[in-house]
Amino acid sequence: MRLGSYEVKLEKKVKVTALQATIISLLAILIGLALVGLIFLQAGVNPLTGFRAIFAYGFANPFGLPLTINRSVFILLCTCAFIVPMKAGVWNIGTAGQLYGGALGTFGVALALGARESQTPSLSPVLVIVLMMLGAILGGALIGAIPGFLKGRFNTNEIVVTMMLNSIGYWLIAFMIKEGGAFMGGGGEGTGFKLSESVFGPTVWGQTFTIPIALGVAVLLYFLFAKSTLGYQIRAFGLSPSAAKYAGIDPQNVPLVVFIIGGMIAGLAGYHYFAAVPGLYKIPTNYGDFGDLSFYGIICGLISQGNPLAAIPFALLFGGLTNGGRFVQGQLHLGYGIDYALLGILMITLVAFQFFYRNTIVWEKMEREA
Amino acid sequence: MGADLRTGASPFYWVELRRGTSSRGAQARPIARGQVESMPIQPIRRGDTVLEARGITKRFPGVVANDQINFDIRAGEIHAILGENGAGKSTLMKILFGLLQPDGGEIYVQGEKVSFRSPLDAIQLGIGMVHQDRKLIPAHSVLENIILGHPGAGSIPDMKRTRDEIVELCDRYGFKIDLEAKVWQLSEGEKQAVEILKTLYRGARILILDEPTSALAPPETEKLLESIRYMTGDNLALVPFITHKLPIVLAISDRVTVLRRGKVTARLRTAEATETSLAREMVGREVVFRLEHVEVERGKPVLEVEDLSALNDKDQLALKAVTFTVHEGEIFGIAGVSGNGQQVLAEVLAGLRKTESGRVSIDGVDLSRTSSLERWKKGMGYIPSDRVNVGSIGALSLIENVLMNYHFDAGFVSWGIVDSQKTRELTESLIAEYDIATPGPDILAKSLSGGNLQKLILARVLSRKPRLIIANLPTQGLDVGATEFVQNQLLEAKRHHAAILLISEDLDEVLSLSDRVAPVYEGEFMGIIPTKDARMEDIGAMMAGLKRKVGQP
Repeated sequence: MRLGSYEVKLEKKVKVTALQATIISLLAILIGLALVGLIFLQAGVNPLTGFRAIFAYGFANPFGLPLTINRSVFILLCTCAFIVPMKAGVWNIGTAGQLYGGALGTFGVALALGARESQTPSLSPVLVIVLMMLGAILGGALIGAIPGFLKGRFNTNEIVVTMMLNSIGYWLIAFMIKEGGAFMGGGGEGTGFKLSESVFGPTVWGQTFTIPIALGVAVLLYFLFAKSTLGYQIRAFGLSPSAAKYAGIDPQNVPLVVFIIGGMIAGLAGYHYFAAVPGLYKIPTNYGDFGDLSFYGIICGLISQGNPLAAIPFALLFGGLTNGGRFVQGQLHLGYGIDYALLGILMITLVAFQFFYRNTIVWEKMEREA
Repeated sequence: MGADLRTGASPFYWVELRRGTSSRGAQARPIARGQVESMPIQPIRRGDTVLEARGITKRFPGVVANDQINFDIRAGEIHAILGENGAGKSTLMKILFGLLQPDGGEIYVQGEKVSFRSPLDAIQLGIGMVHQDRKLIPAHSVLENIILGHPGAGSIPDMKRTRDEIVELCDRYGFKIDLEAKVWQLSEGEKQAVEILKTLYRGARILILDEPTSALAPPETEKLLESIRYMTGDNLALVPFITHKLPIVLAISDRVTVLRRGKVTARLRTAEATETSLAREMVGREVVFRLEHVEVERGKPVLEVEDLSALNDKDQLALKAVTFTVHEGEIFGIAGVSGNGQQVLAEVLAGLRKTESGRVSIDGVDLSRTSSLERWKKGMGYIPSDRVNVGSIGALSLIENVLMNYHFDAGFVSWGIVDSQKTRELTESLIAEYDIATPGPDILAKSLSGGNLQKLILARVLSRKPRLIIANLPTQGLDVGATEFVQNQLLEAKRHHAAILLISEDLDEVLSLSDRVAPVYEGEFMGIIPTKDARMEDIGAMMAGLKRKVGQP
């Protein structure tokens, strides 16, 4: 393409350094925010005021920040749950269903061990907490195993299966916590039972212990893919199933394994929000919102290109913006959905800027044509 | 330039048809009507230069793919372009067909300077390309494939008219082909003919042929060459691009241009060239064509196959009860035209396809029902025919590609963690030992050329010191240098008493490398013949299913 006396060309990039990737992402975020600024202008709000309010509440407010962190941990776990199958070339659109499975596992264990509110559990509370987490992992893994098995054995489309399981999970929870369900809370307001105070997720400086766990999961996954045989086999399969099969990697097994791992992590996300985030400790009426929130994991996984460490800052950003966006909507009397618009635009610019991971724009001064 | 490109009128292509034949010929001209009348008549004479490239230069990051290439083609001439993989042939071909734009240089068609923005421009000027991989729709008939996308066919094709026109075209160039046949029923040679007809019908007068004989059996190659010679009689100009089949170049071309590393190293009349002189220009050194025969005492049987049958992807019986044995220090060749069950055989033996019935054993252990992984561990080494999609993973580094055959090896993995130092060292030593041209082991496999990729696969498989090597088309598409290398490595493995099953479509290769050869036709062995008694014509005929010789298993 010609621009004035310059020839503008695209060249394929061979490699992207971490620094370049960071710069590209930051540029994308800035441009995305600039576009959102137009929305603020259109609504008669100074964009600077708007953004200051969003970021101040999302990242610097004593009430907003813990909320942001809890959301970010949740999104990070969902991102990891999406990344593992993604590395194997399969799409886990079922983090919602799997985290519902995790929630059912958590509260199933709590119920069985007598850890309802105003009860005293039959085992030591630490043991109950560990068992509840295992229950969450198992619940998520069971829901995850279904699409994994069907994919490996019958090559069933995993996207359809996981999405259907999201609905199944949603209604399964409804069945359990509403009108006479086994997990129904007292008072009949359509929530699950509250946990006994003794088995609340432990906190450090008021923050839940699932924060280091989520970060640990991300680091562990990073090493799984970088160093381990299993990680290698998953990546090989994801990049080329036929070559992986040639190399002796079982093509039926890989989808099952990655969906089980993904389900386990999503199950933990369920445990995190319903049993460890301070102030909740039950399955609330609006548990469906958390299913919706889990979809940010997909975007986050795609933007971080399957790198669980790169997913951490994105999860934090999305957590803060969903939170701050919702707050600013009320505070500045903006129309409904400003937070969705903000995140939507940001995702589009981030995805669009991935173009620069693969291409460089080259400007060349043209020789004068005779 | 460019003006006549946009009007869509071709300056010259159907002139010959109008002048040459009867009124029926003029009526049945197979190109969009209404164009001929409006265009200037520039009669082409035999020997006129129809396409000329001057100083074509094309750079890619890090390489100059074409460096000041000059080239011209005359009407009624076959001008072969010869060069190894990576010599810049494909780049030049893509530039001449408008798929790539050159960074420097000029192209002249009929003496007029042109610049192609896309292949459409090239097609408008009568340039056609026949790709190496067939771009036909298998479920459609020959006729439907030929008229598909043709501007003259209209949205509701007039089947009768187009049919007549194509029949005329077939008569003219001596193609005998059933226009109603479905493409999936055709042999590779016939498919090639359909591709050529398609470009001719589109109005091509200059045909670029990409590796025209690579997928053909000897009798079909003969037929194709005959048609090609016939076509030049009508002042068509043909530019075959050929990697390594020197005899073909000598047999058909009038002139030949040899490329090496992006530059023209020789341009000669074919009459003055010999196989050795061409190879020297191409490779840059002397090439030995005779492989020394390696005499190794035949040891005990390694691979024993009994009544093995298997299905192809369409669930048809593609391998029919074959029985054979491969011994230590023996190369057992399987010769056949592509699609006669060789691929299925290789996959069944490698454990990648289900055994329908029969038995496979290695060193006396029955492995018929075991997984591929189990067979790798038992000493099988498989070199697949599809290097890019099966034999390697382009997006992974060379180290991780080597790991493809080592991720299950206790020497390289402990407690589920890959010993990255050891795999790196192994990769580095393989790169050195096999002389793989690459900046280093961390480079992605997709950046390797075909020959180097094959070297990597070979190196990786042979480094496991397999008892049984299944080599499926190990030299297909490789240039002279790499082919020589791969063949010598197989002979080296033979010296080390490996049992080798060599599947090849290149009869010369099978006969010069193997100790025994089994021609395969439609999933059956037509016999098993010691190569020292074999006559090329007999084997060729058996590959075509013509003659059955009773052989001993």
